[in-house]
Amino acid sequence: MTALGLVRATLLGSAVLAVAGCASHGPVLEPLVATGYPQRVELEATPFFPQQQYQCGPAALATVLAAAAVEVTAESLVPEVYLPGRQGSLQPELVATTRRHDRLPYILPPTLDALLGTLDAGSPVLVLQRLGAGPLPGWHYAVVVGYDAARDQVVLRSGTDRRQEMPARKFVATWDRADRWALVALQPGVLPPAADFARFMEAAAGLEAVGRRDAAALAYEAAARQWPTEALPQLALGNLAYARGDLAAAERGFRAAARLDPRDAAARNNRAEVLRQLGCVTLARREIEAARALAAGGPLAAAVEATTGKLVALPDSDAAGCPAD
Amino acid sequence: MKNRFVVYVLCLAMLNLGSPLVAQAELVTTLQAVEASTRTQDLAAVNAALAREEVRAQFEALGVEPAQVESRVAALTDSELRTLAGQMAEMPAGADALAVIGIVFLVLLILEAVGVIDVFKKFP
Repeated sequence: MTALGLVRATLLGSAVLAVAGCASHGPVLEPLVATGYPQRVELEATPFFPQQQYQCGPAALATVLAAAAVEVTAESLVPEVYLPGRQGSLQPELVATTRRHDRLPYILPPTLDALLGTLDAGSPVLVLQRLGAGPLPGWHYAVVVGYDAARDQVVLRSGTDRRQEMPARKFVATWDRADRWALVALQPGVLPPAADFARFMEAAAGLEAVGRRDAAALAYEAAARQWPTEALPQLALGNLAYARGDLAAAERGFRAAARLDPRDAAARNNRAEVLRQLGCVTLARREIEAARALAAGGPLAAAVEATTGKLVALPDSDAAGCPAD
Repeated sequence: MKNRFVVYVLCLAMLNLGSPLVAQAELVTTLQAVEASTRTQDLAAVNAALAREEVRAQFEALGVEPAQVESRVAALTDSELRTLAGQMAEMPAGADALAVIGIVFLVLLILEAVGVIDVFKKFP
């Protein structure tokens, strides 16, 4: 083979490879629909807030919040999420603002399956897309309100388009480039379809962390019903009881969590602290010893040491009414 | 004798200065418990108060209304504050699809003008 022949063969080879690389021209939605979703979903009642310049963040967020029965408009959200210096809105602030309106900001697992399931369950989905090319990012928020498998299209509320149809393949490409980020605003106490435990609990704990305790309580109770063998919802309900000053209920929550997961250092640490406050020092000491062994070298070690320190000087004694173990 | 008494009182008072700090160590919060299961670093080591201060300053610099700065900072969790503190200038800021189309058009126009491409054939 001559040098020229070699070059030709290489070029031909890479051309074939390039074609193979984008050869997946089959439908995107049909295979998913075959797993049990309807052929077509469109949440037509989803409100629409046409965006003002650069303000797709407030507009998209208003859309999903209004769909979750919050009284907002795109204008009313501008002071809460728009960042003038970036001429746009940042993901953590969309999440935070969802909480400010007592809705649970659930970040979907990054799959089309989760997206279709959420639409099928009746919730519109806020997505981040990257529409630009090369060095021009073109980040954009829109709301997916439906899809049509027969036409392989998704339906969006986007920018100034009340009803934008986009080929599913193109949508997935723009969504891929934004790491498939998708947010659902849920009424507290409502679980997303095929809920992911860790994602749900992180969102619920966020509500508690910024002081939205009533909304957090509804979410934790729903989680405790949905995942009765998980310790974390019990720990969470214990923390809420502690925050409202109900030590006995807090102790019951932490005890339940420690029973469900004996290796839960947080539950044992918190139970030890509450037992100390209840005057059950002997039992508290036993719990904190277990917690120390579990937390050693980990992220909770410092918290456990602090609880241990408060017990050191106290004499062994259990007041009347302390739990048996 | 009186002096010695004053010294004792002062000593006790100074000993007490340390104790409120210890007593502030509260329960492990639910969010810490969630994060402890997914992360390995000592949560206390990453100073949330510092991140909060940083985000507050950046909000002001990026034009957030002064009246809104506090409530926007307060709506963020510690881990969100840590994320924002480091990356607020680079994070994706979802904005305007139209602006992008405009820029693409502008680039095409420039390429056309300098003769790299020839797509606007209809226009003289």
